[in-house]
Amino acid sequence: MSATIIGTSPNRVGGIGRVTGSQQYVADLRLADVLEARLVTLDCARARIISIDASAALALPGVRLVMTAADLPQPVPRFGPQLEDRPVIAVGETKYHGDPVAIVAAETKDAADAAAALVRVEYEELPAVFTLAAALDPAAPLVQDPALRPGDRLASTNVLREHPIGWGDVDAAVADVVVEHTYTFPMVTHFAIEPHAYIAAPDGDGIAVWSTIQHPNWLQKVIAKVLGMPLAKVRVFAPDPGGGFGGKQHAKYEPLVALAAIRAGRPVRLVLSLEETFQAVRRASCEVRVRTGVNRDGALVFEDIAADYLIGAYADIADRVVGKGSYPAAGPYTVPNVRILARSVLSHTVPSTAFRGFGNPQVNWAVESNLDEAALAIGMDRLEIRLRNIAHRGDAFIPFDTPADGEWSQTVTRAAELIGWGSPLPPGRGRGIALGIKSGPTTGLSYSTVRLLGDGSVIVFAGTSDMGQGARTVFAQIAAQELGAPLDWVTVVMGDTAIVPYDQQTSASRSTVLMGNSVLMACRSIQAQLRTMAARLHAVDEALVGVDRGVVHLPDRDLSVIDVLKPGLGRLGGELTGNGEVRKDADPSHPLSGAPAFFEFNCTAIEAEVDRETGDVTIVRHVTVSDVGRALNPLQVRTQDEGAAIQGLGHTLMEHYIFDEVGRIRNLGAIDYRIPTSMDLPLDLVSETIENADGPGPYGSKGMSEGALLCVAAAVGAAVREAIRVPIRDLPLTPERVWRALQERETA
Amino acid sequence: MHTFAYVRPTTVAEAVAILDAGGRDARVLAGGTDLVIRLRDGSATPTTVIDLKRIADLRPGVREEGGRLTISATTVMTDVAADPLVRRHFPALAEAAAVVGSVQIRNRATLGGNVCNASPAADTATPLLVFDATVVAEGPGGTRRIAIDDFFVRSGVTTLQRGELVTAIELPIPAVATGSAHVRRTRRRGHDLASVTLSVRVDALGVTRFAYGSVGPRPVLAVDDTGVLADPAVPAEARSAILERMFADASPSPRSMRASPAYRLAMLRVLGARALRSAIEQLAAGSD
Ligand SMILES: Cc1cc2nc3c(=O)[nH]c(=O)nc-3n(C[C@H](O)[C@H](O)[C@H](O)COP(=O)(O)OP(=O)(O)OC[C@H]3O[C@@H](n4cnc5c(N)ncnc54)[C@H](O)[C@@H]3O)c2cc1C
Repeated sequence: MSATIIGTSPNRVGGIGRVTGSQQYVADLRLADVLEARLVTLDCARARIISIDASAALALPGVRLVMTAADLPQPVPRFGPQLEDRPVIAVGETKYHGDPVAIVAAETKDAADAAAALVRVEYEELPAVFTLAAALDPAAPLVQDPALRPGDRLASTNVLREHPIGWGDVDAAVADVVVEHTYTFPMVTHFAIEPHAYIAAPDGDGIAVWSTIQHPNWLQKVIAKVLGMPLAKVRVFAPDPGGGFGGKQHAKYEPLVALAAIRAGRPVRLVLSLEETFQAVRRASCEVRVRTGVNRDGALVFEDIAADYLIGAYADIADRVVGKGSYPAAGPYTVPNVRILARSVLSHTVPSTAFRGFGNPQVNWAVESNLDEAALAIGMDRLEIRLRNIAHRGDAFIPFDTPADGEWSQTVTRAAELIGWGSPLPPGRGRGIALGIKSGPTTGLSYSTVRLLGDGSVIVFAGTSDMGQGARTVFAQIAAQELGAPLDWVTVVMGDTAIVPYDQQTSASRSTVLMGNSVLMACRSIQAQLRTMAARLHAVDEALVGVDRGVVHLPDRDLSVIDVLKPGLGRLGGELTGNGEVRKDADPSHPLSGAPAFFEFNCTAIEAEVDRETGDVTIVRHVTVSDVGRALNPLQVRTQDEGAAIQGLGHTLMEHYIFDEVGRIRNLGAIDYRIPTSMDLPLDLVSETIENADGPGPYGSKGMSEGALLCVAAAVGAAVREAIRVPIRDLPLTPERVWRALQERETA
Repeated sequence: MHTFAYVRPTTVAEAVAILDAGGRDARVLAGGTDLVIRLRDGSATPTTVIDLKRIADLRPGVREEGGRLTISATTVMTDVAADPLVRRHFPALAEAAAVVGSVQIRNRATLGGNVCNASPAADTATPLLVFDATVVAEGPGGTRRIAIDDFFVRSGVTTLQRGELVTAIELPIPAVATGSAHVRRTRRRGHDLASVTLSVRVDALGVTRFAYGSVGPRPVLAVDDTGVLADPAVPAEARSAILERMFADASPSPRSMRASPAYRLAMLRVLGARALRSAIEQLAAGSD
């Protein structure tokens, strides 16, 4: 039993259930006596609520509850991961298109839908700000009540916060060439295939909540606070989500559904439609002005970056996205002078939240594209300028932070090879190459428990959410490797706060590293107990006993775990239990309150063809190479990489919210918000990894599930630019936009 | 979802009677790929839904008879696209049926439904126009044959009268050699509603028929019988004036978020030129 399972790609744990439809997602759960809920929203971006009359709705057969802010404890509870600014339901004013004013619960979904349409809301539409320009206008209406921001000098503006960071002296720096441009990144939504869904049920003197949440323990705290209950009385069930991408990290309508369930005295279930999901989660759009100073020899002299992110009406985690995402904006390069000023700008739009890449793709698009402009200006190859400035292992490229934790030039060189950088191109084609970097988790706390049962099978308790990234499989692999159980003898229990120990969150590509280390630590604790057991059974000095990959080494022979465990546990049987705890505390002296546990590093190289008559962009070849430290499960690593790459093609080529003149979203739902389908994939998609076992995770791994999305836009944009010889600085690169750029150049 | 009565008549006469009695409150259901969506979003609220799929006389199928092809209204796109007779005589119709929605949609979506839904972007509308199809309607007053160009009024509105339903589409088999093509413009390669649809047919007599959709309230037919467009030897400048005339009736809406009028109009010309090229090639290859 010493064969390694680490570095192999066994079938995904839970995979059969997912692909056969037997896995129960939250929306599949049927609780007895459940009421179906529907949100009542207004067809405008912002309104003052004058009155709400529920009598007609309540008169419909089967309708049990219509709840508005007036029915809630006063002041209406507010919550939020950064600021507790979001009321559980709109109070006095709706602040974005889709902000609910009431929730209806009825015996059937049809009755709830019909009743929601009968709730009569008298309201006065108010002017809304839904663009950066409008939100930043000094005369703009304020999105947040300044009373919520006492002592904040920005409280009388729509700027929620500013995030300045930098080093050197940009103003004093002198460069041979300075290139300055402004880039925009669209507002996009996560589009998880599983609908966001919530159920709450009164549970004795407590409450049970089922949610598609990525952070069950965080949700437990929010519900406990809103309801005034101890944590032990709030049980959160988090069945494996069907895709989250950050949109399911933080509480949205769970507090509302919980309050409705308590008021109704029955379970209440709310399943969002895709249209409602567009009005619940999105990525911040962004406008980035970049000034890049470069010398004729290719040395970067300075980067001067101003990024305005348009966040929504409530902070959610959006301001953290802005601060953390813009922080490494100057890229994986050694740049002596850097000035970054990012601002989170409130608006009357759907609250933006975490989304794969966490604020980095927006600035990456701008800064990497501008680097190409700089290369062009000095007549240097775009790969060469990158390799000329790239940080090497150990370089403190952000002076006060974790130095470069990989030899990233290997990744870049490999991607360049795979795209055939420098080889001749057929007409109408272009190539682009871009580098992406993202700070990993800056804090973390992951407990785990591993139980080695009497027959040698294993149960792992880990509070990570497996939303498709394959966390169950990786934790099972670690336990199997360390304790010598076959993979199908390992059960991984997740998603129940009453049973599974605390985990801070599933985000920032952390789980393999932080929870993985925690599970490893729990397994190592069991190994220590096995060592003691073996020493006792065989009367040898414990120091002479080793346990490795499920084999117990005695001085004179090797035993399997079970050969030690069975006699060691004796007639009564029982089990061995190990606990893991991985803690990464906040560091108040660090600009991000903590240095990243690792960097995600990716290089994407693209070959694209443009149809000059129609503007169609075909991705002929898409190469993504990521420095992952070590791939514990190579197939899962590849599929994460591919998934991120394709998701990146969405905002690059086709996805964007479209608003009407008064701030309503026009393209709610799948018909006019297009995401890539299988037919839109690159003709050739190549994913490779660089593995030097130099990561902080188990067996040298690093987190990796966002990297391949970070620089897709810049690489595609560069390829398109080379193909048509016209720069386009706004995403997405729709056929019409590319066509228009060509037209404008012809008429110019 | 709004409640309604669901009926499954077994004869055309019975369906017509129910449809006539219900008037505006009755709706015919074929594949449901348009109707069910509207039932769900509340934009259609019929009190009676009449499912055609149990009517023996409306069984799906394509048959050749008396110099024309008759396609039953309930024939789904997958079958239209695969039918050997359609492919032989009306390649542009087969091409159009093959690009409607996705595989799942095409297995459900009927030709009759596509025509009766009367979307300006309906893919099969343009090939039916260039092939001079006839819509066969059955109603309280008996059978009516409506030239397809007289059928479309605007989005969702046709010249069908109260109590009428479509039983078949007839296509005259061309007496001379023809070449045809269907092309469209979408925002992505995966299934999408088109922002321009266009079909063209050229024949050995030099007649070129263009039809285009999604650039105005209804699909438009334009015919060139000067022989200029069908002749590959005519220089580009000579053609362009005629092409401009062909596309003169395009009036895309500035309100659409799928594409701007300028882009649609430009793409109409690009698609027109491309489709014409393939149709001429096909004609040339066929007459070898
Ligand atoms: C995801 C998706 C993608 C789509 N993509 C395309 C596309 O690419 N191109 C395209 O053209 N369309 C597309 N459609 C629209 C739709 O699939 C087609 O219009 C289809 O042909 C409709 O046929 P049906 O049988 O489903 O019609 P139904 O939904 O059953 O009916 C449509 C309308 O026609 C009426 N009707 C149906 N049959 C008759 C009849 N025999 N007599 C009188 N009235 C009748 C109905 O009352 C209803 O008003 C798409 C739809 C979806 C959901």
